[in-house]
Amino acid sequence: MIRDDAGPALLEGAERADIAGVSIELIRQGQGRPLVFLHGMDGLEGSLDLLRRLSRNFEVVAPSHPGFGASELPASFDTVDDIAYLYLDLIETLDLADAIVVGMSFGGWIAAEMLIKSTRGISHAVLGAPLGLRGPDRRRNDITDIFMMPAPAAERLMQVTERPDVNLAAMDTSRLRRTLRNREAVSLFGWSPYLNDPKLRQRLHRIGVPTLVLWGADDALIPPRYGESYASALPDARLHTIDRCGHRIHVDQPEQLAELILQFASTGRTREAKHARLAV
Amino acid sequence: MRVWQFSEQPYTPAWTLPGAMGITIAPRHCDPARAGALLNRYLDEYMLADEVGLEIMVNEHHGTASCMSASCMTTLAILARQTRKARLLALGIPLANRTDPLRVAEEIAMVDAISGGRLEVGLVKGASYEVFMSNKHPTRFMDRFWEAHDLIVEALSNTGENFSWEGQYFHYRNVSVWPRAIQAPHPPIWMTASGPGSAKLHARFGYNCATFLSGAVARSVFQAYRESYEQTHGRLPGEDKLGYLAVVAVAGSREEAFRRAATMKGYFDTSMRIDPQFRSPPGFVPVDETLRMVKAGTNAGPLQMRNGQPLPRDASVEQYMDAGLMFVGTPDDVFAQLRQFYGEVGGFGNLLMMGQAGTLDHAETVDNLTLFAREVLPRLRELSLADCAGETSAGARERIA
Repeated sequence: MIRDDAGPALLEGAERADIAGVSIELIRQGQGRPLVFLHGMDGLEGSLDLLRRLSRNFEVVAPSHPGFGASELPASFDTVDDIAYLYLDLIETLDLADAIVVGMSFGGWIAAEMLIKSTRGISHAVLGAPLGLRGPDRRRNDITDIFMMPAPAAERLMQVTERPDVNLAAMDTSRLRRTLRNREAVSLFGWSPYLNDPKLRQRLHRIGVPTLVLWGADDALIPPRYGESYASALPDARLHTIDRCGHRIHVDQPEQLAELILQFASTGRTREAKHARLAV
Repeated sequence: MRVWQFSEQPYTPAWTLPGAMGITIAPRHCDPARAGALLNRYLDEYMLADEVGLEIMVNEHHGTASCMSASCMTTLAILARQTRKARLLALGIPLANRTDPLRVAEEIAMVDAISGGRLEVGLVKGASYEVFMSNKHPTRFMDRFWEAHDLIVEALSNTGENFSWEGQYFHYRNVSVWPRAIQAPHPPIWMTASGPGSAKLHARFGYNCATFLSGAVARSVFQAYRESYEQTHGRLPGEDKLGYLAVVAVAGSREEAFRRAATMKGYFDTSMRIDPQFRSPPGFVPVDETLRMVKAGTNAGPLQMRNGQPLPRDASVEQYMDAGLMFVGTPDDVFAQLRQFYGEVGGFGNLLMMGQAGTLDHAETVDNLTLFAREVLPRLRELSLADCAGETSAGARERIA
């Protein structure tokens, strides 16, 4: 059978890369230290403005996650773990060193799942409103259930920046297919347990690289206290809250976000001793 | 033709509440004593169906205010013991919503044994909104369905030794179904189709194929089934392989029948009350199909009236009749309408009859079923395509008028 994942056209400037046998849509732009950018639920196309800013200072490597955009979805993939292992392969395949990993929302969850497994080739991590943690109260979702609301309402929840209602019928076929694939992929990886991995919290202590956790003060999807909980579970993290900013930091405050990443990447490692211990 | 009595077993007192019947109405709106009385009433009506010569069909949608049957097999376990003659059809069991398909096989076997081999089982995809209660992933839903199907069929058919199952989705170290089902290799299996594609697949398996409330679409479903069946099995299928589900209101006078039908129409009004996010959770429908639907526009449903116009969402009884979803009138009227529909779709051997729907009360349901069984059923049993030769839509309509 012909693979139906051949699907949508690549984004402008994107290439196709074979990572561990998976055909991935990849944007590589800019020069400098490598920065692996992991997009959120809005797909790689939602972060193009931020990527342009980051590429002024970094060599940006930004994949569309399996099942998103124009990337293949292998039949065996069904957890964020699968994506995390694939991206550890990506870092090896592209031979990246001293890299900064930046993950937004769903991509922040992927970054966390990568870093608990290995930080090889990675010096810093930036998690922008990352998903992935199970909340403390089993009778309450900390993350608003986007599947229980109409898609336009979920869309409005994501950002403070005004945006016209997404009109699926008016989209050209390629963009519509990307949008539908992105939604389906979020459902595949996040339907249940709802956008979390129950085992993530107990493993976060393994992340030895300096980590910056960012949260929008006006995040309507996940309250900022979730970010506090995330940061406190990490051995070397600080939490920074951004004003006039919702869940999509890359949409609401792209300039400030790029600046924060640049500053953070130039800070030194603070926990060399701990890394050395973990490496043994 | 066999006729199967069917009711969704609704909790109608909650129908005045706003919102999606299946999902958002909270249990605080349920009076359990009232629900229990209603469930017993529907069971009484099923027992009446058995007495008057009708077969029995039950369904499930996860327990909701529009369909309290949380599980087909719970209802059928009771009826297996309390009825004598009727075939008992579960249509159907939404396999991919089940955590444990082996237990589905065990329940099928047990109910078949209690009933003396009268069980028939529909294995179905189910309604999209059920995944909000089962919490099963909408993605790869049919992959799980088919693995569960394979396991259930192998478990039921197994007359030898225990076996193990390490599949993609389900894992068992010891498959051992006790008691075995009486019917060998397993009770008759039904599936449902709303278009020709799935009908072709069901025909290849030789399973019974039912289409629900699909009006003129039934013709293409049955045609696809017949062609695919003949290709696969080298002969045409019997009419007993095909089923059509519709609402039937019959009464001594036309006025009475239409009044009854207006009450039953509440079924359509409430079952359509589903918010868009529950109609299509991401992944439940393949991307390509969703894309086609978005491009075609969401208002163009598949149901059409005879003039080719789409059936409106707030259709009248007459419009539902015109589209072939309701059969309403005196026994003569209803037989004539059914005979016409039967001829138009090329014949089918099972009428899945909503003889109770909406707020139709017990006394009226009893009258509906009794009158139908006495006056219409004997004629339907004799019906064959030969009777319909030369039948035209216009001719039948004239006779009804």
